[in-house]
Amino acid sequence: MRRARPWWILALLTVAAVGALLPAWPSRAQQPIENRLVIITPVARTVTEPTVAAFREFARRRYNVDVQVTVVSAGTPVAYGRIREWGGRPEADIFWGGEPALFDDLAERKLLAPVELPESVLREIPASIGTPKPVLLKDPRGFWVGCCLTPYGLVYHPRLLRRVGLQTLREWDDLLDCRLKGQIAQATPDRSSSNHATYEVILQLYGWQKGWEWAQRLGANTGIFVARSRDVPTVVAKGEFAVGFAVPAYMAFEDLLSGYELRYVHPTAAFVTPEPLAVLAGARNPRAAREFIQFALSEEGQKTMMARGQYGISPKYRMEGPPGSPLARMAEFTGIKSFFEKPVRNVYDDDVAQKRYSEVNEVFRKLIVERHGELKRRFCP
Amino acid sequence: MSVEVAREAAWPRVRPRRRVPGWLWATPVYAFLLLFVVYPLIRLLAEAVTDEAGRLSLTYLAQFAGDPFYRKALVNSLWVAGGTVLGCLALGLPAAFLLVRYDFPGRELWSYLTVLPIVMPPLVGIMGLVFVLGRAGTVNVLLMDYLGLARPVNFLYGWHGVLLAMVLHYFPLVTLNVVDALTKVDASLEEAAEAMGSRGLRRVRDITLPLLTPGLVSGATLVFILSFADFATPLVVGMQDLLAAQAYLNIVQFVDRRLFRMGLVVGALMSLLAIGFLLVARRAVAMREYAVVSYRAVERRPLRGAWRLIAPALFATALGLAFLPHLGLLLAAFGKAWSLTPLPTRFTLEHFDQVLHLTPTYVVNSLRWGAVAVALILVLGVSIGWMLARTSLPGRELVDSVVTLVLALPGTAVGIAYLRAFHAPLAGITLTRSWFVMPLVLAVRRMPYTVRATFASLLTVHPAMEEAAASVGASSLRTFLDVSLPLIWRGVVAGALFSLLFALQEAAATILLVLPGWETITVGIFTFYTSGTFGQAAALGVVLVTLSAAILYAIYRLTGARLGGLFGSGGG
Repeated sequence: MRRARPWWILALLTVAAVGALLPAWPSRAQQPIENRLVIITPVARTVTEPTVAAFREFARRRYNVDVQVTVVSAGTPVAYGRIREWGGRPEADIFWGGEPALFDDLAERKLLAPVELPESVLREIPASIGTPKPVLLKDPRGFWVGCCLTPYGLVYHPRLLRRVGLQTLREWDDLLDCRLKGQIAQATPDRSSSNHATYEVILQLYGWQKGWEWAQRLGANTGIFVARSRDVPTVVAKGEFAVGFAVPAYMAFEDLLSGYELRYVHPTAAFVTPEPLAVLAGARNPRAAREFIQFALSEEGQKTMMARGQYGISPKYRMEGPPGSPLARMAEFTGIKSFFEKPVRNVYDDDVAQKRYSEVNEVFRKLIVERHGELKRRFCP
Repeated sequence: MSVEVAREAAWPRVRPRRRVPGWLWATPVYAFLLLFVVYPLIRLLAEAVTDEAGRLSLTYLAQFAGDPFYRKALVNSLWVAGGTVLGCLALGLPAAFLLVRYDFPGRELWSYLTVLPIVMPPLVGIMGLVFVLGRAGTVNVLLMDYLGLARPVNFLYGWHGVLLAMVLHYFPLVTLNVVDALTKVDASLEEAAEAMGSRGLRRVRDITLPLLTPGLVSGATLVFILSFADFATPLVVGMQDLLAAQAYLNIVQFVDRRLFRMGLVVGALMSLLAIGFLLVARRAVAMREYAVVSYRAVERRPLRGAWRLIAPALFATALGLAFLPHLGLLLAAFGKAWSLTPLPTRFTLEHFDQVLHLTPTYVVNSLRWGAVAVALILVLGVSIGWMLARTSLPGRELVDSVVTLVLALPGTAVGIAYLRAFHAPLAGITLTRSWFVMPLVLAVRRMPYTVRATFASLLTVHPAMEEAAASVGASSLRTFLDVSLPLIWRGVVAGALFSLLFALQEAAATILLVLPGWETITVGIFTFYTSGTFGQAAALGVVLVTLSAAILYAIYRLTGARLGGLFGSGGG
C-alpha cells in the first residue's frame, strides 16, 4: 500500500488539474448569433455591466441564445494598443469608447470592420454637433458609430474646496488660484487620452504659447500626477485631493450615486466624445457584435446607459426623470439635459491634435513634469 | 552451476539494472529553462536594440542614455532601493535578534505575525496605507478635525512615503533571512570566543556578524531587487520618475510607439541591473562555505526587567505600523462612500457580494492558475532540486544560476519579455493567446521556492540512505519514492505552498499578459481600483490576504517557522 501512495497522489493531482482546466475550453455551436462576445473598453464598468446584462436578456428573448459576454476594462490607450498588437486577429469583438480619432486611426490601419447598421437606426443619429468645429457622431465611412455623448470636464470635492477657502469652480482659470496649491490631481497627457484631449482643448482655445503657460501654472498647483485619468475622480471622491480633470460618466457620477460628495463642472469648450462603437476586423463573433451595437442604439440600450450617466446619441432622449431618479441626478450633476438644444461650443480640431500627438506629450514632460518643483516655487510660493 | 545461476540463488532480488542515463531526464528540464527563461530574456534584451521595423538599431538606447529624465529615474530607483534596504535592516535586524536569542511574552505569536506583512501585493499594501495615512486618511482627518491642523500632514506623497511603505512591506524579508542564519550559529563558537576574551559587541563583530553575512546579504539583496522592481507603490503616491514605474507606464500605453520602445529599453535595463545586483551579492557571500552541518543552537535567554515589556512593545509598534494597510483595507472593504471622516460612517456587504458572488471569476481563476502552476512547479522544481543536490550532471551550476536569476527578474520585465517572445506562433501555438501562458508564467516565476526547498531538504538526508537502497537493487525512481520522498515531503510541500502563496500575489507579469476571461484576484484588484471602485478592490484584497495568511499558517505548521531559507536569494 505504502509504495503505491506517490502514484495515486500524482494521479489525483492530474485529475484535479484536468478538472480545473476543462471549463477553460469554450464550446461553440451554430446559432443565429454567436454565444460569445468580448468587448474591450475604457467605459466604466458601471455603464458596461448593466448594458451587457440588458443585452443578454434581449438576446435570450429575441434569439433564445445565452450570450457569454466578457468585458475587458482597459484605458483607451491600452485598448488601442492591444488592438494594434493583435493586428487583425483580435481577442475581442468590439472596441467601445474613448476618442473618435483613435477609431479613425484603426480604420485606416484596416483593423476595423464596417458596422453595417440598418439605415433606420443610422438615420436617428445626427451627423455632428458643435461649432465652430463639428464633433462627428458617426463615421461617414461607416467604421464606427457613437453610442452616447459624454462630456469631459472637472470634478471637485465641495467640502475640501471650502476648507481651502473657495466656494465653487466654474472655469478653466479658476484652477490656477494659489489656494488650490497641492490640491489638483491629474494624469499626464501621455498616460491618458482624455487628458490629452483636454490639453488640446486648452492649447487650441488659448493658443500654443498661452496654453502652455496655463498648463505650467496648473502644474504649480498639482499635488499628484496619477497613473490613469480614472484615478482622478477616485482620489477626489475620497478627499485626498480637491480637484481634477474627469469624465463624469466614468466613475464620478457613480461615486455620487454611491454617496460621495462630488461636483462636476463643464467649462468652456470642454471636450465631448460620442463614445464610438466599432466591430474589430477579424472578430470571432461578428454577428453578436453587430447585434450588441444595434441594441446599444435602441431605446432600451440608450435608457440603460443614460441611467448610468451617458447622454443619448439622438435628440430623442433627454436627461430627465422624476426627482431623485438617476437621470434627474445626472442632469443636476452636470447642469446639462441634452446636447442638442443649445449650441455646443467645440474648438478641438482632431487633425491638429493628431499631427502633434507625441510633441504635446514631450513638451508636457519637459515643461511641467520635469520642472514640477520649480513651477511650484515660481507661481505659488 | 554457472556463475550467473549462483548469483541468482545468492541474491534473488538483486539484479543489475539498466540505469536511465542522467542526461535523458535532465534534457526536458534544460529545454524548459532554455525556452521559458533564457529565450524570453534574450528576446527582451534584443528588443532594446531593435527598431520598429526589426532592424538592429541603437537609437532607443541612445535616446535613453541621452535623456536626463531617464537618467534621473535610474538614480532615483537606486536611491529608493538603497534606502529601503537600510530601513529594512534597521527594523528587521533587531527584530530577528530578539526573536532568536531572547524569550519574552508572545514571542511565538510575534514570530508568526512578523511574516504576514509581506504576503500582500505592493498595490494592495499602498492602497490600504492611503486609507489610513493619506491626506484624507484616518490619521489626518483626526489631526485636522480634533487638533485643528489646517492642512493635512503629508505622510505618503513623496519619496518619504515610498520609503515608508516599502520598508513596512519588505522588512520581514530581512528578519526571516537573519532568523534563519542566526539559528544556525553554533553556540560553541560563541562560547569559544567568549573564553578567548571576546565579549559583548566585540563577540558580535568577531563571530556573530560574519556568520550572519550570508543571511544578511541574501535578505538585503532580495529587498533591493524587489523594491527596485516595485512600480505600484510609487505610482499610487504619484512618484513616476523611477525605472519600474516608467517601464510599466510606457508598456501599458501603446498609442505613442516611441514611449512603448522606451518601455522595452527600460525593461531590458532593469533585467540587466537585477542580474548585476545578483552577481555582486554572490561575490559578497562567496566565502559562505562555512555552512554548518550540525550545530547546537544558542539557548534563548529570558529578557529581564523593563526589557520584558520593551521588546513586545517594540514589536507591537513595528507590526502596528506594518498592519496599517490591512486595517485600511478592512475599513474600505466594509465601508460605504468613505470620505473625510476618520472611519467610514456607513457599512455594507455589497463589495463582498460583488467579488465573491456576482463575479467570482477572479477568485476562481486565481485558484485554477495556481493549481496548474503548482503541478508544473512540483514536477520541475523537485527535479531541479534533486539534480542540484544529488547529481553531477553537466550544466548544474548554470541551472542553479538560471533558477536564482528568475527570482531576481522584475515581474514587469518577465511580462514584457513573454509578450515579445511568444507573440508569434511556436510549433503551431501562439502562447500569448493560450490560457496556458498564465499558469506557465506563474510557474516559472515562483518555481525557485520549490527548487530551494527541495534542495535544502535533500541536504539533510544523507546520501548513504539512498545508496543503501540502491545497493539492494532499488531503481533510482524507487529509491526516490521510497527513501527520499518520505524524508523530504514536508520541505517540498512547504516549498510548493510558498510557490502557491507567491503565485497568488503575482501582479506584474500577469497584468501585462492577461486576456479576457483569465483575470486573477490581483488583476481584479487592479481593475476595480483603476475603475474607481475602491470598495470592491479592497474586498478582493481582504480575500487575498485571508487566503495567503491561511497558506502561510499551513507552511508555518509544516516547517516550524524556519522559513528564512526559502526567501534567500543567494545560491542554494
